[in-house]
Amino acid sequence: MTGAGPAAAVGTHDMLAARINSFSFHGDAAPALRNVEFGVRAGTLTAVLGGSGSGKTTLGKLLAGWHRPGHSGTLAGWLELAGERLEFRGGGDDPRINPAGWSDRVGYVPQDAAAMLSTVRSTVAEELAFGLENRGTPRPDMLREVGRIADLTGLAAFLDRDPATLSGGELRRLAIACAVITEPQVLVLDEPLASLDAAGVIVVRDLIARLTKAGTAVVVLSQSADGLARSAARWLVLDGGTAAAGGRPRELLRSPELARSGVVLHAVTHTAPAVRAGLPAGAAPVLELDGLGFCYPGAGGAAGERPLLRDLHLRVRPGEVVAITGPNGAGKSTLLRHLNGLLQPLAGEVRVQGRSIASLPTGRVAAAVGLLFQHPRDQLFERTVLREVGFGLRRLRGREAGAAADAALDAVGLSGEAGTHPAELPASKQRLLALATALARRPAVLALDEPTVGLDRHGLAVLRRAIDAEVARGAAVILVTHDPLFASSTAHRVLVLEGGALREP
Amino acid sequence: MPAPLHPLTSLTAACCTAAVTTAAGSWPLSVAVSAAAAVLAVRAGAGRRVLTAAAAVLLPLGLSLLMLHGLFFPEGRTVLAAWGPARVTAEGLAFALEAGTRTGACVLVLLLFSFTVSAPDLVAALNVRGLPPQFSFVLASALTLLPAVAGRLGAIRTAQESRGLVLGGGALARLAAVRVQMVPLVLGLLEESGHRAQALEARGFGRPGPRTSYREVPDPPAQRRLRAVLLVLAAAAVALRLGASWPAAGLL
Amino acid sequence: MSQQPLTLPATGPGDGSAAGRPAGTTTAQRNRRLLELAGAAAIAATYLFLVLTQPADIANGPASAAALVALGGFLLGAILLVAAALPVLPTSTLVLMPVALVLNVVLGQLMGTTGLPFYLDAIGTVLIAVLAGPAAGAATGALSTIVWSFFNPTVLPFAAGAALIGFLAGLAARSGLFRRFYLAPVAGFVTGILAGVVSAPIAAFVFGGTAGLGTGAVVSAFRAMGDTLLAAITKQALISDPMDKAIVFAIAALLVYALPRRTTFQFAFVRRFRVLAGKTPAVTPDA
Repeated sequence: MTGAGPAAAVGTHDMLAARINSFSFHGDAAPALRNVEFGVRAGTLTAVLGGSGSGKTTLGKLLAGWHRPGHSGTLAGWLELAGERLEFRGGGDDPRINPAGWSDRVGYVPQDAAAMLSTVRSTVAEELAFGLENRGTPRPDMLREVGRIADLTGLAAFLDRDPATLSGGELRRLAIACAVITEPQVLVLDEPLASLDAAGVIVVRDLIARLTKAGTAVVVLSQSADGLARSAARWLVLDGGTAAAGGRPRELLRSPELARSGVVLHAVTHTAPAVRAGLPAGAAPVLELDGLGFCYPGAGGAAGERPLLRDLHLRVRPGEVVAITGPNGAGKSTLLRHLNGLLQPLAGEVRVQGRSIASLPTGRVAAAVGLLFQHPRDQLFERTVLREVGFGLRRLRGREAGAAADAALDAVGLSGEAGTHPAELPASKQRLLALATALARRPAVLALDEPTVGLDRHGLAVLRRAIDAEVARGAAVILVTHDPLFASSTAHRVLVLEGGALREP
Repeated sequence: MPAPLHPLTSLTAACCTAAVTTAAGSWPLSVAVSAAAAVLAVRAGAGRRVLTAAAAVLLPLGLSLLMLHGLFFPEGRTVLAAWGPARVTAEGLAFALEAGTRTGACVLVLLLFSFTVSAPDLVAALNVRGLPPQFSFVLASALTLLPAVAGRLGAIRTAQESRGLVLGGGALARLAAVRVQMVPLVLGLLEESGHRAQALEARGFGRPGPRTSYREVPDPPAQRRLRAVLLVLAAAAVALRLGASWPAAGLL
Repeated sequence: MSQQPLTLPATGPGDGSAAGRPAGTTTAQRNRRLLELAGAAAIAATYLFLVLTQPADIANGPASAAALVALGGFLLGAILLVAAALPVLPTSTLVLMPVALVLNVVLGQLMGTTGLPFYLDAIGTVLIAVLAGPAAGAATGALSTIVWSFFNPTVLPFAAGAALIGFLAGLAARSGLFRRFYLAPVAGFVTGILAGVVSAPIAAFVFGGTAGLGTGAVVSAFRAMGDTLLAAITKQALISDPMDKAIVFAIAALLVYALPRRTTFQFAFVRRFRVLAGKTPAVTPDA
């Protein structure tokens, strides 16, 4: 199997196999996938690795019948499931996939687990039963199946909860449970570990192990060669919509194909110095938080009003990078929202460049403080990438506006995408575009909320470069992250937010 | 009440009450029905929500009716006061009272139903009755989406303020701000609905054939009989009213 | 539980974008056509009946019989239209209906913040009609009105009018009126005339007036000139509705052109009838 090219990926005993000569979405000029061969065997784990925009989600949805050829786009190639091969030529007489029949055999769980939910069922138990109801399963069988799957996925304690109130990890387990309750032979999971805490990762990995043991063929789509991916029997590496390599993990881990792709390799990416050297000396702080106190109205609970932030102090000088970490719910995002006046502190004061921002609307503070949110899509609204970065720049930068927009796009490596619709960019590039909109305004303070989430390796490199450039320009950078490695390798200072105040780790 | 009301029982009761009130067309009955609905709403613990929603609808309508018919009612004969073209007539005021109380009664009764019914029970009951699952999907999904979208709009607004978008100013500036908020909202909702369609298809939603229901809603025989009686009563009231006014309506 | 086949039979159009194709030969299709016709006929007959037999003398209070006929006829029509369209709509269109309803409500409120004196409560319906066609538009209009009546029961009788708006918006999109930006408000204006005229009897006979103070003032002016209630409300509707719908259509066009091509092109209706202009024409205005 050494040197196995992508063409060797299909075997004779495959439960699900595909040969994709090309697949393009309606209205797109270029194909999203081309020259991919793929096959999975019962009882094994297969990982499809690739960076943002590499086509792994498209491949996963094609395999699972979520993207139906002819309906979602045009496919040339074939799909083979349960010994039945469907040939597609992209014409009107192609076979039409029956989503109900296909999904009896192949399950798919999207990265955004909430997308799996029907939105019309009010408890976890009913949500689980939704797929059975549609199949006309008699109620006694349904009750038994819901109980069995709840035990398997550790959801037994949540059966009466409203799905909308579940945490991220619980939601992911519910989505997987919804997909496996009809006992498909193949299960495709898109980034099953994304944004899970350590406990959630253990539960999901354990579940995957149990499913493969029971004979299910599991396919994991991932942006990162993490522990789960490394436990797979086979890898397929996608790059730019095409198969770059396929084979066993051990053979591919050090391959140039993997290195060229956007896949994050945790052991390798850590190249920056452990702590950034050269703190600028003497300059007056550009951002001061003085005795900040805050609690959300009505969030105190019965146990008394415990404020989320309490007598919090922070001074950040120009050219300094401060990373803030801390457990979920400690108030990290809440703290960031105080920096530009989205939230007003109940006690204390926020000063930017020496001036209190207490009476200024956020829209005005934004000239000095650029704040980047976790969900970049909420911030994007223009028709092209260039217009997005140029929005409102003229008022701020006058004649330089055009040049500033170009420079910001260049800084995040999106110069080649100036005419693209922001929504058509892959997630990683959307995040970088949102970063560019902040960079173009040359803020004195740049505040980033979980900037690494969803970034592939190329994106991470761009982010590091951009932060370096901001530091060189003399801007202060404050970032909130759950990634300790990124925090320690990027920041001058790492602080932990706990019990409402910041402390050294 | 001995047993909890089956959603279809309360739906039938609300609709029949509205029909009978409309057919009767007498303001004392309308007022009595409104008062009864308000009392029931308060007793069910939904008083504030029902009355707030009703006030939001009925206050503008009532004021509009009062202004329209109170001041301008060319058919009126008993003139109480007149300023130029405006004439306050007894008939006009009576018309406004009649129309306003009738609508008020119907609105209160129907709101009492919608704010006290358990939406999941209603959906399950409708599915069992063989209504197309598509209908209950639209109903239930809209009820889930509405609060979620309001929160989403807030998130979009804060994200954009952080980008330097200043809300306020003239009508044109505000229109531009609205456009900028609409685009991510619409785009996000459309994209999500695309994913949801794929997920629903995969979970067998588009499948032909019979369906079963996980949720069971008890439907005692007494309530079935009650529903039948209510329907007959409403039909009789409507038939009486139509029969009485058919010739009077000036049929061709 | 029998396993379903992996493929669908090769008959019929791709994914059945409910774009009112010529009726086939199967009885199911004919029955749906009959339901649609019956629904449209119920609405038209109710309107004619109300206009022709409107009570000459309303001095004795609002006519209950007319209210019952208006309610029953228009609701029956709307329900028949929904029943005809709903079962054949593809899931991808169905999931848009709650979205349309939410957009009708939320965007209507958002537009309310601009202080413009219009209702603008059909943006979602028109948007869906442009993306998914007349049948989807009509079903969306009627269904979203029925669901919204859970919060505001007074909108329920206007379900038929909302269905008409969705249907006409879909027709306008199919005939290419959304390919040129300036044609969209024109289509909206015409839609507004028809929808206003159809809805006027409901306001007149079911509610005895209009729901807002502004519209009430306009009706008062016509009443002061001696018009009958129905005539006054119809004239008021002819003043406000066309303008309102012209703005709604323009906003919907603005939104549709702000969407990426991949999103709009996933709708078979948009592809088949070339609803939107090409990618880089100078038709999208800048706000």
